[in-house]
Amino acid sequence: MTGSAIFLQQIVNGVSLGAVYALLALGFTLVYGILELINFAHFSVFMVGAFVALVVLQAFGLQGQSVILHGAPLVFTLFVALIVTMVVSGALGVLIERYTLRPMRNVKGPMAMITTIGVSYILFNLVLLATNAQAINFPDPMPQANYQIGGVVIRLKEILIWIVSIVLMVGLNLFVKRTKLGKAMRAVAQDPEAARMMGVDVDTVVMIAFFAGSALAGAAGMIFGLYYNFAQYSIGYTAGLRAFTAAVLGGIGNVPGAMLGGLVIGLIETLGSQYIAARWADVIIFSILIGTLVFRPAGLLGMLAPNRS
Amino acid sequence: MISRRLALRGTAVTAALAASGTNVAFAADKTYRIGITLPLTGADAEAAHLILNGALLAIKLANASGELKGIMLEPMVLNNATATAGQYDPAQAATNARKLAGDTMVLANVGPEMSGSGKAMAPILSMADLATITPSSTAPALTDPQFAGEFVPGGKPIYFRTVTTDAYQGPNMANFYAEILKVPSVYMLDDSGAYGVGLADAFAAQAKIKGIKVLGRDRLDPKAADYSAVLTKIKATSTSSLYYGGTMQAAVKLVKQSYQIVPSIVKGGGDGILSPEMMTAAGFPAAEGWYATNASPHVVDDPKLASWVALYAKTYNMQPDDYAITAYDAALVAIAGIKAVLKSGKPLIAANVRDAIQTVHVNGLQGPISFDKYGDLTTRVVAVFQFKQDKSAPLADMNKQTHYIGVAPQS
Repeated sequence: MTGSAIFLQQIVNGVSLGAVYALLALGFTLVYGILELINFAHFSVFMVGAFVALVVLQAFGLQGQSVILHGAPLVFTLFVALIVTMVVSGALGVLIERYTLRPMRNVKGPMAMITTIGVSYILFNLVLLATNAQAINFPDPMPQANYQIGGVVIRLKEILIWIVSIVLMVGLNLFVKRTKLGKAMRAVAQDPEAARMMGVDVDTVVMIAFFAGSALAGAAGMIFGLYYNFAQYSIGYTAGLRAFTAAVLGGIGNVPGAMLGGLVIGLIETLGSQYIAARWADVIIFSILIGTLVFRPAGLLGMLAPNRS
Repeated sequence: MISRRLALRGTAVTAALAASGTNVAFAADKTYRIGITLPLTGADAEAAHLILNGALLAIKLANASGELKGIMLEPMVLNNATATAGQYDPAQAATNARKLAGDTMVLANVGPEMSGSGKAMAPILSMADLATITPSSTAPALTDPQFAGEFVPGGKPIYFRTVTTDAYQGPNMANFYAEILKVPSVYMLDDSGAYGVGLADAFAAQAKIKGIKVLGRDRLDPKAADYSAVLTKIKATSTSSLYYGGTMQAAVKLVKQSYQIVPSIVKGGGDGILSPEMMTAAGFPAAEGWYATNASPHVVDDPKLASWVALYAKTYNMQPDDYAITAYDAALVAIAGIKAVLKSGKPLIAANVRDAIQTVHVNGLQGPISFDKYGDLTTRVVAVFQFKQDKSAPLADMNKQTHYIGVAPQS
């Protein structure tokens, strides 16, 4: 491989990785934008999403990498699995909000955030016990198709990740910017009291934000499983922390910022591994988090949610 | 309370006498104990029971043959696992070691299975001069004179092994890469853990001596999911092989992603990847072709041992593995030590049995067994396996899904 081919290949690797981080970062950003709450349960919803997708794909009779589908059956299977995963993960998010966070809504201080850490650990340990801490082989019905451009290999899976991520991210952005519900969300983010007085049902808006964020985490979980072909109870934490960094980097509360942040973190990880060393990836990523917080607390694109007085 | 406790003790003694009365051939026989400490519950239970039965079989046969004149050996089986750990638990292993050390009728111990338990047990057993013979723990530190202060505070080696250590697993595999596979270059990876780093270091040092070009070294974060960047870097070096030191946590992802990015190069690792998870979690076709090693000879399929394997299978209703054989050998070592003390006329106590084990020569199932001055096996056999899918067998069946290649060349 030539130097430029290596560089471009690492860009391809980084963009795919960044897409997963970006999808996860959106969930953080959405909830933070509305409640100013960092939702650590998001890590585990992502992980549970991967397992939901695993169960759905297995229900289609897919085991490991032995069954390969093509054409319409492939699209149908993946589409159904994606919808089921997103609905189940979204519902899980709604349940978490309804039963653990809503009672804390008016409690000041870090109580709600600590509750999300608790919920995260409960889900983490439930899956740990259910799977005996084993990594599970994730079904992969996609053909092993590669496209070679110059010295750079792009896999069919990578193209799929990019398409699904872009569709979901653009869809979310349009939803927040263009729809009435999106407008209500932004209103609640700015001033929940005033929004309520204007007739906005704050509880419903918060519920929808949790549903959308968790559904995206579920989608990220399924994409993760298809891309890496494994699922394990621990996948939420490494990916989740990096996604959180991405959200802060882009400007927490800011939807395009989360996408940009995810992409930047993914690229830093792969280019850092190539030109420095893989073992330094975390050091570099979290140094960037600290640097951002110190020098540009609002993130690259700034926070959209204004500070409440 | 006292009378009640005495009464209970009386009942126990009567029961013990009754039980021994049915087993013991001669009324004059004196019963001594051999400890067996293994993680018998939780995640390690399956492997531990194979080991347990190997040791039990040796003790049973020794008692039946009457070779220990006037002595009966009673196995004292202690569980090294706890429910809270869900697997082996070094704290429990330490408790068990104290129990063994406090019992003057215990002459030696077989176990533990895991090096982590061994590290907790060794200092306690050392202070009691009580020998333990492990059938499977391979961490070099346990017998390394550099760590004697930590693991051998009593001064005399008490940690004997019927397997070799990771200090030979790595180098012997490097010899295999150089002499058998004839690879000109290698890229090194490890999983940042003590075992993985040590194994990879040992491999790399020997690989250089053997003239294999070490093109680079990277450390994987076992919790990370994406190794494509490192693998792209490896692809760019045009290396002809890859060696990975580490366990399954990173290996699951490494095996899958290396199949995508560097499918055709030679790939291998140590006993950390000689695991059913290679098939169940990493899966075929990704695992196909990977080499892995074991720190003991592969003798369970040897025709010479067919009658022993049949006896084991008949007695315990399960098929033995290589560590069942090293466990049988470990118990043979303890029995040989006891015999030597009896022959010498010295008092039959644990310290004298330890001294005897140090110099003993035993004809084990795996071949001749003797120890160096630190307690390590003098033969350093490392068996090499290759993963090859057998579609007719269950995925987790190690015997069917791996193919025995042979013994790695020794340095």
